[in-house]
Amino acid sequence: MEIAARSEWECCWDRDTIVMGECPNINPGDEDLLTSRSRRLLEKCVDCEKFKRDLARFRESGHPLSTVFSVLHNDYRRQKGQIQALAGFLDTKSLEMRFMHELGSVLQSSVDLDEVLSVALTAITAGKGFGMNRAFLLLADKDRHILKGHLAIGPRTAEEAGRTWHEVDSGDLDLQGLAQNFRATKLSSERDKFHDILDRLVVPLNDDQHLIVRALEERQPLLVTDAFHRSDLDIEFARLLGVDTFLVLPLVSRHRRVGVIIADNFITHRTITEQDMHSIETFTFPVAFAIERASLYERVQEEVEKLKQANLRLQDQQEQLVRMEKMALVGRITSSIAHSIRNPLMVIGGFARSILKSTPDNDPKRGFIGSIVTEAQQLEQVLGEILTYSDALFPTCDFWNPNQLVETSLRDIQERVVSQDYTCHFHAGEFLPTVYIDFKQTSYCIRNILLSTIDGLQNGVIDISTVRSGDQVQVRIVDHNRRLSEEELEALLTPFTETCEMGSGLNMALSRSMLEKQNIPLLVVAPPEGGVTFTITLPTRKEDMP
Amino acid sequence: MSRLLVVDDEANIRLLYSEELHDEGYAVETAATIAEAVEKLEQQSFDLAVLDIKLKNESGIELLQKIVKERHDMPVILCSAFSCYKDDFSAWLADSYVVKSGDLTELKEEIKRVLTKKAQRRAAGL
Repeated sequence: MEIAARSEWECCWDRDTIVMGECPNINPGDEDLLTSRSRRLLEKCVDCEKFKRDLARFRESGHPLSTVFSVLHNDYRRQKGQIQALAGFLDTKSLEMRFMHELGSVLQSSVDLDEVLSVALTAITAGKGFGMNRAFLLLADKDRHILKGHLAIGPRTAEEAGRTWHEVDSGDLDLQGLAQNFRATKLSSERDKFHDILDRLVVPLNDDQHLIVRALEERQPLLVTDAFHRSDLDIEFARLLGVDTFLVLPLVSRHRRVGVIIADNFITHRTITEQDMHSIETFTFPVAFAIERASLYERVQEEVEKLKQANLRLQDQQEQLVRMEKMALVGRITSSIAHSIRNPLMVIGGFARSILKSTPDNDPKRGFIGSIVTEAQQLEQVLGEILTYSDALFPTCDFWNPNQLVETSLRDIQERVVSQDYTCHFHAGEFLPTVYIDFKQTSYCIRNILLSTIDGLQNGVIDISTVRSGDQVQVRIVDHNRRLSEEELEALLTPFTETCEMGSGLNMALSRSMLEKQNIPLLVVAPPEGGVTFTITLPTRKEDMP
Repeated sequence: MSRLLVVDDEANIRLLYSEELHDEGYAVETAATIAEAVEKLEQQSFDLAVLDIKLKNESGIELLQKIVKERHDMPVILCSAFSCYKDDFSAWLADSYVVKSGDLTELKEEIKRVLTKKAQRRAAGL
């Protein structure tokens, strides 16, 4: 039994201290091992080829302990390998946990469906996520009982893949950043890009034999292989995806079937493992929950919006009711006083006419009597308007040409317009549909608006136009000459409210009331910088009438 | 000379109608109430009646119905400040309707038109 002398060992295990370069396994950063023999032995020597040769020489020496050393050495190396594998596994899991935490925090905090979908699909396809090539999201349409392609992400060609992955690598964005970037710049374009596939990715939810539906019913992910030769998968479905291996990940939140994610490696054809499937499966729970929550939030928002609109309509109707009540009260008052006023007025006017008839032409009193006749007649006209206002008007509607309506109204007041040196420019819209209105009443209202507009003014310009507005036709009357305050505008539409600018509000209130009976809104806008615009929106369909 | 009955609760209106229609060549009798009108209708014959719809606490429509029932050959012209007569189907029994005005031109024209029509119908034996 001959044991080598100290100087004959190849490895440095027997030396307390070595210098850098003596051990090929010690690199910069490992300097503390130069002076720590025991640590150097455990961390470096056991794997060193020189040490293995030293150990072989020791075994050859026939020393009884050499076998023990070999056993211990081999077992130590085996355990070290196991520990390293476990450490690697822990590192991987730690990264996964961090990724899931990051993902979870985004998904939990978002109620925006697009954001949730962007995060979910980016996580599946990003290298920093699950690293799949493509992901398709199919959402359950409960009304139509189908699963339908909603969104997809990923490249469609190898060139595109190279370009996209290069961009992602050079961008140095974390998962959230990638998702935000995707949402901001690519969400709609990806939808368009996969439009042809998404439109055809339709699976009836009642097709229990379809493996996608089965995965959803059983709430189990599936690693689908040999997709082109399966009896439980329509070959067209496989052709649509263009791959024979893909993952099916059901999205189920509590008992609700939210949808399905299909992921594949269309470009790289990297083998999809069971481990891949289980990793992504963990992630599908928060995704399903987040999608459902975002969808519910979206629906709640829609309902809130509907409520807001209903509230606005209610307010509008309340205002209208108040206005109508005001008008009804005015109507009752006017009705009751009309009789008592009209009778004496007609007596005054009537007798004045009688006297006038028998008064010679050269009698100086003839002028005074004529004035009584004229004034009484004017008062009768006002009374007539008041009675018309308080009267219940029932419109008789039919289809009319809107341009003809305006032209007729303009023709009726032409004399008055000319006498006041006013100019009316009518811009008749082309190819307008016929409008369903009471021609007589609507024409009366337009005349009223125009006469109120020119009342007391000279030498002005009014623009009138007919334009199409969705399913309706608008008549716009723009008066460039007046400037009305908010109070004057309010007063303009309230019966018996005097405005300095446009006289009694009766005519305008009457017009508004007449139009409202036909469900025709009259909008009056008077901006502070001047000008007044009247907009009458005329229906084109019979169904729009009250 | 055609005989007219004017029914109105306002004395001045009765006077105005009397004067104006007399000038037009009609013989005019007036009544302030339904009772007075009915009494005159029973005692005299008239070619036409001009009725105010609103008579103090009464309705000219009532008198119209009575006339149509008992004197169906006598035409009636309703005369009122209200246009709401349209809502009362009974008012449709009248031969014509005019809105009250100090200018009696329309009333006079209607009287002439209704009387001519009556004469034509009588001539035709209807």
